Amino acid sequence: MHIQSIIDSAVEEIGQSLLGKEPQIRLALCCLFARGHLLIEDLPGMGKTTLSHALAAVLGLSWKRVQFTSDLLPADILGVSVYDTNNGSFNFHPGPIFTQLLLADEINRTTPRTQSALLEAMAEGQVTVEGETRPLPQPFFVIATQNPIHQFGTYPLPESQLDRFLMRLELGYPPPRAERDMLERRHSAALEIKHSRQCIDLDQLEMIRIAVSQVQASDHLLGYLQRLVAYTRQSAEFDVGMSPRGALALLDCAKTWAAMHNRGHVVPEDVQRVLPAVAGHRLIPSGEYAGDGHALVDLLQRNVDVVGP
Amino acid sequence: MNILQQVPRNALVWIIICLFALVAPHASRLPLWILALYLVAVIWRLQVHRGYWSFPTRLAKVAMVLTGFFGIYISYGSFIGLEPTVGLLLIAFALKLMELSHRKDAYVLLFLGYFICITEFLFSQSLLVALYALVSITLVTAALVAIHRPGEQEFKVGTLCVASVMLMQAMPLMIVLFFLFPRFGPLWTVPIKSHTAKTGMSDFMKPGDVASLSQSADVAFRAKFDGDIPVKSALYWRGLVFSRIEQGAWSALGLYDLPANQRRPEEIITDGEPMRYSIIMEPTQQKWLYGLKYARSDTPGVMQTVDFLLSSFVAVEAEYMYTVTSRANVAVDEVLSKWRRKTETQLPPIGNAKTRKLALDLKAKAGSDEAFISLVLDMFGREPYVYTLRPDVLSEQDSIDEFLFQSKRGFCEHYASAFVFMMRAAGLPARVVAGYQGGEINPINKTVIVHQFDAHAWAEVWLASRGWVRVDPTAAVSPQRIEFGLEEAMESEGSFLSTALLSPLRYRSIPLLNTLRLRYDALTYQWQTWIVGFDNERQFDLLRSFFGETTAKAFAIVLLGSLAFVLLAVAISLFVGRETHPQSQLEKQYRLFSMRLARLGIIRDPGETPSLFAQRAAKALPDYAEPLCQITRLYNQLAYGDAQSSAGNAAENLQQFVRMISRFRPKTRHAKL
Repeated sequence: MHIQSIIDSAVEEIGQSLLGKEPQIRLALCCLFARGHLLIEDLPGMGKTTLSHALAAVLGLSWKRVQFTSDLLPADILGVSVYDTNNGSFNFHPGPIFTQLLLADEINRTTPRTQSALLEAMAEGQVTVEGETRPLPQPFFVIATQNPIHQFGTYPLPESQLDRFLMRLELGYPPPRAERDMLERRHSAALEIKHSRQCIDLDQLEMIRIAVSQVQASDHLLGYLQRLVAYTRQSAEFDVGMSPRGALALLDCAKTWAAMHNRGHVVPEDVQRVLPAVAGHRLIPSGEYAGDGHALVDLLQRNVDVVGP
Repeated sequence: MNILQQVPRNALVWIIICLFALVAPHASRLPLWILALYLVAVIWRLQVHRGYWSFPTRLAKVAMVLTGFFGIYISYGSFIGLEPTVGLLLIAFALKLMELSHRKDAYVLLFLGYFICITEFLFSQSLLVALYALVSITLVTAALVAIHRPGEQEFKVGTLCVASVMLMQAMPLMIVLFFLFPRFGPLWTVPIKSHTAKTGMSDFMKPGDVASLSQSADVAFRAKFDGDIPVKSALYWRGLVFSRIEQGAWSALGLYDLPANQRRPEEIITDGEPMRYSIIMEPTQQKWLYGLKYARSDTPGVMQTVDFLLSSFVAVEAEYMYTVTSRANVAVDEVLSKWRRKTETQLPPIGNAKTRKLALDLKAKAGSDEAFISLVLDMFGREPYVYTLRPDVLSEQDSIDEFLFQSKRGFCEHYASAFVFMMRAAGLPARVVAGYQGGEINPINKTVIVHQFDAHAWAEVWLASRGWVRVDPTAAVSPQRIEFGLEEAMESEGSFLSTALLSPLRYRSIPLLNTLRLRYDALTYQWQTWIVGFDNERQFDLLRSFFGETTAKAFAIVLLGSLAFVLLAVAISLFVGRETHPQSQLEKQYRLFSMRLARLGIIRDPGETPSLFAQRAAKALPDYAEPLCQITRLYNQLAYGDAQSSAGNAAENLQQFVRMISRFRPKTRHAKL
């Protein structure tokens, strides 16, 4: 069975729950296949939770959800040791982070202290509580959602921590037809998720990852990628350009995207498809583009020549 | 407002710096209220920038413009002339800042700034002013650069470096244009009536005038001799001849005071060794020029007038250079016209009775004219007359009596005036000559620097056998003045430049300072000769010395050729400095392919991938869909395909790609775009 057809069926399955959002679903899958964590940023009620829930179901992963609030403490996520009077020792009660897919809802509502506890676990793949290091289950994904920062009572993630997320997606309003469809069917997202069947098992997930690692990126393509990165560093529209880690992330995602489409090599289209999601949160616009990340990525994509000089 | 049209924060700082830099050199000439307006404008604009105030309303702007015009009229009494117009320009400059909101306003403001840089030269063309103008132009350019850096929030000095580099690149072009661009005469002129005070000698002299002029250390003119410099005591720079005395004051005759048949310059029978020199005058706002006796000039614009004087057609409003040929010994017409004799012996009907009597007594005692002159000079030398920069104030009516018999303290004009009065009282034609005497010799470039304190007045007496003979009564009183200069003559009194504390001349005794001063003066001379004085004629001389006889055609070729050469050199230096990317054969071929499509109007956007481009092109050129598709497929395979799988036939595929491109020559009249 082709990778592409497996993925197509997964996309279709998720599409049952989240109508009219195929590109975002594909990107979210791409992010997970590339072993990255995903940040979904949008207004409440746009289907952030639905998407993560459906992803977990389709991949057959254990799934937990933490609603981040301003009084959430690191221990609430990581777990605590509790004294057991029966056998006179401390027993570790693992927190919700010990799961394969963690949905961190409204991550920007909690304090930086708790945010960094989560982000540390994301980066290391393990948790250290009271001096003891405990590995997290594999695979381990975090899907964090956040409200756009211009809302009251939020602690926006600093740029350095945004970088830990491989991709940032925005869902946006559904297309009119999909919305009509949803309304007609009195579509209940929660109901559908229960019925979502697993499309990709862990073996297949591993196979996809192997396929990704075999994808080739030619000199010409790397040249294009470097021109993209160089443009963000040199052009006046960018206050801060892409880091080498950002460049690596872009390449990884492009390779995954190529693999998802049954290609053994990356083409510029792959880079362009993943670019907004990968680069959007890593670039800090300056002056005239302030606050308009879309226009900025668009500018980047339009101005960098695909064909080398 | 579109963000692109805003003036960036950084640029505003530069614009304000420009504003002050441009108004600074004009500050001393401007009325105080214009400077105050600048402060108001800058404060207003800064408050707008900080969001405290808003831009002036239309009504306020109209009011300010009208106030500006009114103020100019009050301050200068006219709108015509250099100062009022420059004043108006500067007011416009300040007011424009207040309404500076869009980028286009900044353009207007800065282009006006370039113009204001140039207006400085209307007042002075000295080396320092030129250097300052260079600085101002760099600043204005920096502001222009800053406008085009929208991202920059902070003030960066790097902007100045960019501007300097740009100007540096323009420098060779400037030099070529300066030396080769044809000097046209002015296409139109406006009467520039300068309100600046006239400096130097005036055509009117009363006792004390020259003494007060001698307090100034300003340069009057510089002279450079072709041969050796004559001794100081022979350097009598004649400027004006005062033939009329009225109420104790001497004045020169205008051309229209002369009878019609005597307005032409006297014939001089040239003879003897000529002495050639050139003079660069500082602006005086007056017409007369200076020269040694029996001066002739072949500089166009300089005319000979009566009494062997030189004059310019227009008042000297900027540094002015002319060449003079003087001959020490010439035979002149020995007959004095009746009218002349009458004029040059005329005295006021009453006043100075004692002097008149003394003159007649001495004349009777002496017998001959020469003996009479020497008797009078003897009197000045023998009796306790004092040569001083601080003469007593004399009454108008009998000033000469008072001077000769009571105070006995006077400066050169007192002695010259008294001497001529006595000559005339005794019936000898005599007159006062005003000008400069001596000068400082700059050993570095062998020029004679004549300062205002070298101002001098002496006498000329008509002797039947010899014509007009120079007699300097000051020499009889203070020989040091003539031989060494004013400083030595005033050594005991200590009054030399006593009011000009900052003049570097006061510190001549410090060798280092003196050398520096002389070096700077030599530089100024070079500047004035080569840059300020580089006119039409010098330009042709220069071209002739390089290329022989020049025609207009040759001139144009040389000009355009040098321009091309300079631009080419700049272009090459830019090109060489650029990083060049090695272009692979594949990409070169693909660009060729894109270019051929571009000719048909199908232009690839930089961010458009080859596949998307091919789809779009195929839609526009359905006939060529197949080759477009093939070429793109092959390109994608070569550029992005698996290296391993296609390693073997990559070279072959590239060959094929090249062939496909060379065969691909789309032609159509009806491309659907």
